[in-house]
Amino acid sequence: MEQVVATRAKARMGLPAMLFYRFRKSVKALRMFAAIAGPGIIVMVADNDAGGITTYTTTGAKYGDHLLWFLILLGPAAYFVQEMTVRLGAVTKRGHAEAIFHGFGAFWGWFSLLDLVLMDWLTMITEFIGMTAAMSIFGVPPWVTVIACWLLMGSMILSGSYWTWEKIALGLCVGNLIYIPAAFMVHPSASDILRNSFVPHWPPGGLTNELFFLLMANIGTTIAPWMLFFQQSSVVDKGLRERDIKFGKLDTAIGSVLTVVVATFLIVVSARLLYGHPIESAAQAAVEIMPVNKYVGTIIAIGLFDAGFLGAICISLASSWAFGEIFGWAHSLNQNIREAPWFYAYYFFDLVLAGLVVLIPRAPLVLITLFVQVIATTLLPAALVFLILLLNDKKTMGKYRNNTWQNVANISIVLVIIILSTLYGITALFPEVLQ
Amino acid sequence: MNFLRAALSSLATEVRTINRRYAKPKIQMTWLVKACLVVLRLYLVVLVCLMIYKFVKTLKG
Repeated sequence: MEQVVATRAKARMGLPAMLFYRFRKSVKALRMFAAIAGPGIIVMVADNDAGGITTYTTTGAKYGDHLLWFLILLGPAAYFVQEMTVRLGAVTKRGHAEAIFHGFGAFWGWFSLLDLVLMDWLTMITEFIGMTAAMSIFGVPPWVTVIACWLLMGSMILSGSYWTWEKIALGLCVGNLIYIPAAFMVHPSASDILRNSFVPHWPPGGLTNELFFLLMANIGTTIAPWMLFFQQSSVVDKGLRERDIKFGKLDTAIGSVLTVVVATFLIVVSARLLYGHPIESAAQAAVEIMPVNKYVGTIIAIGLFDAGFLGAICISLASSWAFGEIFGWAHSLNQNIREAPWFYAYYFFDLVLAGLVVLIPRAPLVLITLFVQVIATTLLPAALVFLILLLNDKKTMGKYRNNTWQNVANISIVLVIIILSTLYGITALFPEVLQ
Repeated sequence: MNFLRAALSSLATEVRTINRRYAKPKIQMTWLVKACLVVLRLYLVVLVCLMIYKFVKTLKG
């Protein structure tokens, strides 16, 4: 009835009134989007974490711009996977861990939760490795960096407000865009970049084992298990409803564009300044760039710290949310430390433990990085399969379940990711396979 | 020591409560869902075997 009245009122409007009405409607939609946006952008940008920055720098140094097209393909793949968590979270009001427990029972629930906790903790160690390495370039000792990070990460959540946390995280996302001006400072050729971005081809030398490993590493860094858990819990904590799904999808789409843009610009920088140099880490890249271009070297180091920091706070939250959902603790960023003591205790415990490992002299950091890759191959396929099954459950999802086209796209993407991430895990375990 | 024992006992109680709460899967168990879960189990068993093999090999080497 209301719709009929609105349609009749619109029909009686003159052109100026109609334009004004459309303008007001657009402004309202924009305000609505601004209120809802956040989880998608944060998770996608945080995906370019310290490990991701290292992978992109290595890719650029080894293969120049030749793999930009592959990276651009990963953007839509990440969007399709993450978009499902928005629908699942908004419809069920359950985080991903709780959704798995509820849907598949305690066995699969515990498997996912414990795997996530281990994997998140190991990944956080790699974030601290990135942050301490980045600050070491400026002469800051690792212990100072670690303690400063703990204090900053703690102060972020003291307000007891999701909005405050999200605004700070979005600020860190803006910091991640620092690689864009860096790319302009190395004066790349636009035509080269466009050609390498949109014309799929193999780099000189063709498809080698080394290239295959790097392609898999790029997939592993773009689609990670913690992202599914983080975004779904974040959607629930923020209180997104079914009618907000379209804005949540737009938020995720913008995030996926940003993640690809940042990665592309970083590869462009690395390709221009480090092509042909064997690069092991982003910190090493920053050090090697310093004598060539001091500003770009500094930007890479700052960006690495920012990426590690954003990654660490998001990953730690993903685990805390998951534990809170299952153990029934109060687990919202909208609650203060007194109201949700276990949630925050776990958040700090995770951060402190990860930071401490980095400070241990001669800690097996390379082995830890290897473990992250291997454990991801146990969790990622399971989490993706659960996601697809839950999104197809009529009883759970109702009209928001996957339609045929979404299933075709999502199942294809998930199958490719599972196959490649498994190969990545196996080659990480048995590198001799590639020789 | 008593504190640790009490904490562990409380944790065990909580885990039992969670296991009871999620004892039965709520998803509609069609043949496709069952098949996916079986394949997933096999996949994980193979992967764990590979990891154990690598671990033993590294220890011996």
